[in-house]
Amino acid sequence: MFLRILWKLLGASRGRLLLALVALASGAAICSALLNVNLDAEKKLTQEFRTFGANVVIAPKAGDNAALADAGIMDRIAGLHIPQLVAAAPYLYIAANSGTQPVILAGTWFDQVAKMDSWWKVQGKWVSAKENRAECLVGQTAARQLGLSIGSSVELRSGGRNISLSVAGIVTTGGSEDNQILTWLDVAQGLAGFSGKVSLVQLSVSGRSSEIEGVTRQLAAALPGLDVRPVRQIAAAQGTILGRIRGLIFWTIALILILSMFGVLASMAALAMERSKDVGLMKALGGSVGKIMRLFLAEAGALGLLGGTIGFLVGVVLARWIGWRVFNVAISPHLEVLPITVALTVVVALAGALPLRFLGRVRPAEILRGE
Amino acid sequence: MMAPLVQVEQLEKRFGEVCALNRVSFEVEAGEWIAIMGPSGSGKTTLINILGGLDHPSGGRVVVDGRDISHLGERELTRYRSEKIGFVFQQFHLVPYLTAVENVMLAQYFHSITDEKDAAEALRHVGLGDRLSHVPAQLSGGEQQRVAIARALINHPKLILADEPTGNLDEANEVVILDLFRQLHLAGHTILVVTHSQVIGNLADRRVELEHGHLARISAPPAVLKD
Repeated sequence: MFLRILWKLLGASRGRLLLALVALASGAAICSALLNVNLDAEKKLTQEFRTFGANVVIAPKAGDNAALADAGIMDRIAGLHIPQLVAAAPYLYIAANSGTQPVILAGTWFDQVAKMDSWWKVQGKWVSAKENRAECLVGQTAARQLGLSIGSSVELRSGGRNISLSVAGIVTTGGSEDNQILTWLDVAQGLAGFSGKVSLVQLSVSGRSSEIEGVTRQLAAALPGLDVRPVRQIAAAQGTILGRIRGLIFWTIALILILSMFGVLASMAALAMERSKDVGLMKALGGSVGKIMRLFLAEAGALGLLGGTIGFLVGVVLARWIGWRVFNVAISPHLEVLPITVALTVVVALAGALPLRFLGRVRPAEILRGE
Repeated sequence: MMAPLVQVEQLEKRFGEVCALNRVSFEVEAGEWIAIMGPSGSGKTTLINILGGLDHPSGGRVVVDGRDISHLGERELTRYRSEKIGFVFQQFHLVPYLTAVENVMLAQYFHSITDEKDAAEALRHVGLGDRLSHVPAQLSGGEQQRVAIARALINHPKLILADEPTGNLDEANEVVILDLFRQLHLAGHTILVVTHSQVIGNLADRRVELEHGHLARISAPPAVLKD
């Protein structure tokens, strides 16, 4: 009989209950969308962060007599098959001269740098193909000081050796690269006579701070003679941004659910007025307050269940839309969000049904007299 | 000798300064049909509300089936209503979104457990076997009152309390309802009916007449009118 009355109750005040359902489903939809986005945002944002430069650096240990590391470490890093490794770029820095002016020549692997530092602003073009051994990128400060422009050539001398490079592009990074000339690693090694040597290796590792720390430990264990350290500022900034996004999502969900609750409160207050006569009658027939209130709270709970489920489904669609608009990727639905959304919506529905609790105070004699 | 089913002793009810009932005393034997009569505002409905456990008296006491209900708490009064009392109201007071059989089952639900067959049988008994799945809006006033009577009887109450049960009905339906009450009386039910109707007053075993909250007189209708 309980379910039978409950079913009839749900059908009895369709208008008001529909309003409450819309309020609940709307809140649940935004809650579901944001929770789905939150679960994927960390992954997506981490991928985005990985285009903003290295977050792990491998270099010879401070105080070590060998200022350069063996380039063979690149093979050892590759041999570890670290899934989180996005890119690994070796660097060899040598002091060279262009005419009478000193300049730092950095040798690297441009294909890896392009993956790691895609945000670099390059006028002209990247040194993309390995065949273009005679090309270089020139930092904008260095280009100004040396009077270089795109297409011009630069003569470099170091330790009695000379090379001539063609300027493929002028690069602006806001960092030390602005003062350097960048070319292929083996070209720099050849000019310096440091065949098979590197100054350091920059790595881009994806994942949370804990995952980055884990990869750092793995590398340190595999490369005992070298100093492997995460770039703290980048890891910390990434953690701060993710934390703030999580906070923003949490408070937005809280606010939306409170607003939904007010929507439900308004509908339920009107419903309580409407139901007072029925409750008076039920009490006159011997219905206990507990038994009567269970009916109305179950009605609110059923609304919460329905609103939460509808909201979850709408939220999944909404999350996909947000994913495309904000991250340019599809946010996949997370089933674990369903019970959370439904539970939160049921709690909101029960809280919103607070006015129905006043029905417990209805005095049947007054109601039946029509007061 | 058996104790009376209902004992009303020095019953008082005040609403602020207004004295709705003033030292009213009478007794009702099991199986009696009592008509509570009097002009509007004489305290009839107040009396029946107190007898039905819908209101508390301000003074005096009411004993029903050996139990003083004057000082019962809300929970005990709820139990008393579900177990001892069957109500029939002037406005019928059916739940509009429940069918006839569900309205009867509602009283079962609050009493103990529901039995749809019993509820349907109670409706057949009042001549509504073909109206089981109709909601109140699909029933005439007389039919709605018959549903209310079936609901009042379903839990086999000790006392049937009716407040102007024919007050909202036309003559034809009034006859049907009165006939039902007569059958209930013949079956041994104890009935207290608040009424302005002399017809009901004449059908009852005794008339308890109130005036301005006082018990004016208790009388038996002349036998010739009763027949």
